[in-house]
Amino acid sequence: MSVEGGGKGWIGASLLRKEDARHLYGHGMFIADVHVSGVQDVAFVRSQMAHARVVQVDKPARHAANVFVLNDIQPVKILEAGPELSAHRHSPYPALADGRVRYVGQTIAACVMPTRAQAEDLADQVHVALEELPAVVDVVAAMRPDSPRVFDEWPNNSYISTSVVEGNPELLGSAAVRVHRRLRLNRQATVSLEGRGVLAYWDHRLDELVVYLSTQGGQVKRLALSRMLGLPEHKVRVIAPDIGGGFGGKNRIMPEDIAVAAIALKVRHPVRWIEDRREHLLASPHARDHTYDLTICAERDGTLLGIEGDIYIDAGAYALWPTGAFQEASMASRNLTGPYRMRHLRLDAHTVATNKAPMGPYRGVARPGATFALERLVDEVARELGREPFDLRRQNAVTAAELPYRTAAGLKLDTGDYIAALDLAREKIDLPAIRRRQVAGEPDGRKIGVGFAFYTEQSGHGTVEFMKRKFRVIPGYESANVRMLPDGNVLIYVGVQNHGQGHETTLAQIAAHELGIDPGQISVRYGDTAIGPYGFGTFASRSIVFAGGAVGKASRALAEKIRRIGAHLLQTDVAAIRIENGMIHGPSGKIGLAEIAFAANARPDQLPTGMDPLLESVATYEPTESGGVFAYGTHAVVVAVDPDSGVTEILDYVVSEDCGTMINPMIVDGQVQGGIAQGIGTALYEEIPYDEQGQPLATTFADYMVPCAPEVPTVRIQHIVTPALTTEYGVKGLGEGGAIAPPAAIANAVADAFRDIGASFNETPLSPRRVSEAVDLARRARGGQR
Amino acid sequence: MKSLTVELNGATVRYEVEPRQTLADFLREQCRLTATHIGCEHGACGACTVVVNGKATRSCLRLAIMCNGQSVETLEGFPNDKIMEVLRRHFHESHALQCGFCTPGMLIMARDILLRLAEPDAQTVRQQLSGQICRCTGYANIVDAIVSAGKALRSQRAALP
Amino acid sequence: MKSAPFDYVLARTVTEATATLAQDRRNAMVIAGGQSLVPMLNLRMALPDLLVDIGRLDELKATSATQEALQLGALVTHADIEDGAVPDPFGGLLRKIAGGISYRTVRHYGTIGGSVALADPAADWPVVLLALGAAARIASPAGSRSQSVDDFIKGQYATSLAPEEIIVGFDIPIPGARMRWGTSKVVRKSGAFASSIAVVVEQGDGDFAAAALGAAGPRPCLLPTTAQGLRSRAPQEDLRAMVADDLTALALDGDPYLTRLHTSTIMRAVREMRQR
Repeated sequence: MSVEGGGKGWIGASLLRKEDARHLYGHGMFIADVHVSGVQDVAFVRSQMAHARVVQVDKPARHAANVFVLNDIQPVKILEAGPELSAHRHSPYPALADGRVRYVGQTIAACVMPTRAQAEDLADQVHVALEELPAVVDVVAAMRPDSPRVFDEWPNNSYISTSVVEGNPELLGSAAVRVHRRLRLNRQATVSLEGRGVLAYWDHRLDELVVYLSTQGGQVKRLALSRMLGLPEHKVRVIAPDIGGGFGGKNRIMPEDIAVAAIALKVRHPVRWIEDRREHLLASPHARDHTYDLTICAERDGTLLGIEGDIYIDAGAYALWPTGAFQEASMASRNLTGPYRMRHLRLDAHTVATNKAPMGPYRGVARPGATFALERLVDEVARELGREPFDLRRQNAVTAAELPYRTAAGLKLDTGDYIAALDLAREKIDLPAIRRRQVAGEPDGRKIGVGFAFYTEQSGHGTVEFMKRKFRVIPGYESANVRMLPDGNVLIYVGVQNHGQGHETTLAQIAAHELGIDPGQISVRYGDTAIGPYGFGTFASRSIVFAGGAVGKASRALAEKIRRIGAHLLQTDVAAIRIENGMIHGPSGKIGLAEIAFAANARPDQLPTGMDPLLESVATYEPTESGGVFAYGTHAVVVAVDPDSGVTEILDYVVSEDCGTMINPMIVDGQVQGGIAQGIGTALYEEIPYDEQGQPLATTFADYMVPCAPEVPTVRIQHIVTPALTTEYGVKGLGEGGAIAPPAAIANAVADAFRDIGASFNETPLSPRRVSEAVDLARRARGGQR
Repeated sequence: MKSLTVELNGATVRYEVEPRQTLADFLREQCRLTATHIGCEHGACGACTVVVNGKATRSCLRLAIMCNGQSVETLEGFPNDKIMEVLRRHFHESHALQCGFCTPGMLIMARDILLRLAEPDAQTVRQQLSGQICRCTGYANIVDAIVSAGKALRSQRAALP
Repeated sequence: MKSAPFDYVLARTVTEATATLAQDRRNAMVIAGGQSLVPMLNLRMALPDLLVDIGRLDELKATSATQEALQLGALVTHADIEDGAVPDPFGGLLRKIAGGISYRTVRHYGTIGGSVALADPAADWPVVLLALGAAARIASPAGSRSQSVDDFIKGQYATSLAPEEIIVGFDIPIPGARMRWGTSKVVRKSGAFASSIAVVVEQGDGDFAAAALGAAGPRPCLLPTTAQGLRSRAPQEDLRAMVADDLTALALDGDPYLTRLHTSTIMRAVREMRQR
């Protein structure tokens, strides 16, 4: 049910953002901008070794009281992290080291001083004696029986190993075409421009612990802090101010959060820790680090049959609460058939502990890896068969008539037209023109290549899906509290956390649509456990589906009550009432929304007999099917590659995508473009290599390359709109999609550039060295021709 | 501690600073001017870009004491600046910000570009922005905003007698 | 990521700067634009007790051009050169190089003197100055001296600069007419330090030619065989072999990729020059 008339037009409008002004004038309030009188800064003493026993920590005598080790912050309970599966091994992760350090950057002690510089001075004076242990660095070697162990009590280094067997994988052994590749996405950081941060103090007036936290979801973090610190939840208030990007990296409870909150309970002043960039690259949640050893199987006619092999996820030294990194393996396995009619799977997936920073979620979670592996393999099959890779995709992709389609691994692809997305991308990138250009050659000696990659992006998944993933906290719904004030303007409280997604605008558009008012009359609030309804936060491309649905539902309940009051005041039947442009219209008269709001809030005498006052509604929402809806699209990219230097330049980038109904197309395009920039980072630039001793080799932006404006082209975005059937308004989440396909599309493009010599590009980032070495290898294999 | 006098957003101010204090920390922690954000502290991200003696610079790469006697302008210092107003409008209209953390540095840099280069094209703007990281937008809309702000300023100037 | 504490003095004259450096017993460092030093301070990779700020010494900003040489003050910023605020009698070579250094905000305060004094093996100016046969003018309490940039740079972050010395400026010989140049630089992302940077110059008809390469070993170096090939107008393919000889002499850890990479930048620089 939606409001007729005045509400129309807000769904689908590219409304300019309500949240812009504060940032344009420098009035944003990020964690490091929060000023609390008397605050002292924390600098952490961190492990310089990948794996070691902590023999001794010597505090400088003059400032011993300012140095906190684990014993000084007790009691702090460690919560078991990872999926709720008995097979998943527990990796107890203390806020400060408990006698063992398992990665370079792990927190050992916290130094508290009036300024961060002084805290770092103090940290430099804390002497830590470490006794080095053999480090586990290579994810595949880590699974060998003779590997050193990250956890002594584990039988091997696997957090969990699982198998996916679907269809009849015995058939795969005799397939006419079997292409084996080893593929790898290297380790990277999430690199929100604002690092993590936490500021905590005991509020003596309200008798509660206040924790300002740069987080994507404060309610769940409060739950964790309350359990860990042994405080009742009503005595812990988590406030998330403006968040300078998250991308998944700010959605786990981290040792620094716990340590700072625990220290705040021990000292008489506020304490804060603001992550610096080196700490971010060392010890914020790391991402990707997938290794695939796969064989894809096909018929001679190009029919894809299935995939078999192993997946290794290098999950680092600890599982992060709540869910650990298991979903990387489980989602990668389940997404490995992509949009294709492939029915046979035999996959063994290992989530492996190593002496590296713990892995967390990052935009795209698992699917950039799965899509890279699958779409590279599809290209390699095409090459094997002498086919145009695009045609092989088109031949095997599920058609619109076949949707909804349950994939071999059990994902129910819902609505859309995958072939149309492929064709649109092909048309816009102009494949024939590129093929002609390749024949002509480039005057500068570079090679041109074109690559395609198809992706799907699950969103709106709730209880059923997260039960499958064995989550400890099931984000099965989202909530909204919609409140109309006496003057007819509206405050909305939600449990999701806006950190760039534009919720203040899009959720207002939804409420405006339902309430028949202007979005300018609506404020959307979030980020404070003291005022918002319970919710899980912003991640997994879920906000527009869940929070949008909850806002819609709560607004409709409010609209219904408004109509009833309007009918009473206009002395007519509710069925005859409509809301339009802030007015309530009856058959023979109208009344302003503000008058109804005033009556409901401040003049109960004017309400129908027996009606409760107030215009306020709390709603929770979950789509009618909680397996999720699937946005999808095709990325097509043209590159120019210098074979000698190995430098790759992106010449053109096209996306055809379908995320169902777009609440705000401007914001959709912004998400797509921004996601692709991050995907380009994964594909070409970003990497944290580790040496054999487990030392990370990219700990500043001098070594960790983040793409800037010259590296990221303006993407030509094309939309197909197929509304979802199981969500409000037909929306599908789309926040992650942009980041999923670029590694696959770009690697396919680079491979296309060198298809004449059969060079293979199976590892990201495609750094100049990797590209040049792959070209050289292929040239040598063909007899040293240059 | 050293005595530091700077012309900060048009007003002469005097503080005691440690020599090691960067201009960024000085602005944020002592002057409480928090529009200047800190993103890397080693000169690679541009979030802390401010104007010193008329030139855009990274406030993490300048010690506060080095600015003694100089003028320093932060985003807070441009409430009514004509170029900044046009830039703000185009950043808003082009959807050139998402989380907003890079925005103050981007605006300062964009103003610096438009002061030096009349009506730059997209290619030029991209090169000029090579030291400003935005992790959200993918840059396209930022580039658009600056290009169109340049055009708008040019036509404003043309309209003047 | 905050600097360790240090003391700070602002030098008012060159004499005062060098005297302070000579007399102060502490571990002193010179700061000019600070664009390389301050990050190292913030990372606590540089731990001076004292910073001597030479950034306001007008004597180090003076620039003049004679028939024979361009004299560039050490405090001339990359942006000054990029914008043509100082003469570039090398047909735009200096402007091109300056505009490609790091980011514009860094170029606003980063100085040519600071760049050479730091002697980062991947830095731009040392390569150009090497190719142009420039000399550094250096002041100390004992007086001043001049030394070719080639001799001045000793290795990775190592120069002949004594603790009490500062660079005053550079003398770059101005070539005769018909100077041509080419440059090529590979970076991992825009504004990053070079993975490889090559500068080639020639003038007249084989009178003079030089080729210099940076980011290939501990210090930038001249490529003598390549230069000879340029003077003798060797065709591209012959030149490639000469480049190979020079690179062999550099012993790039037996890394074939580095050989391909540097060969590619040198050859691109040559192509650019020959197309001028």
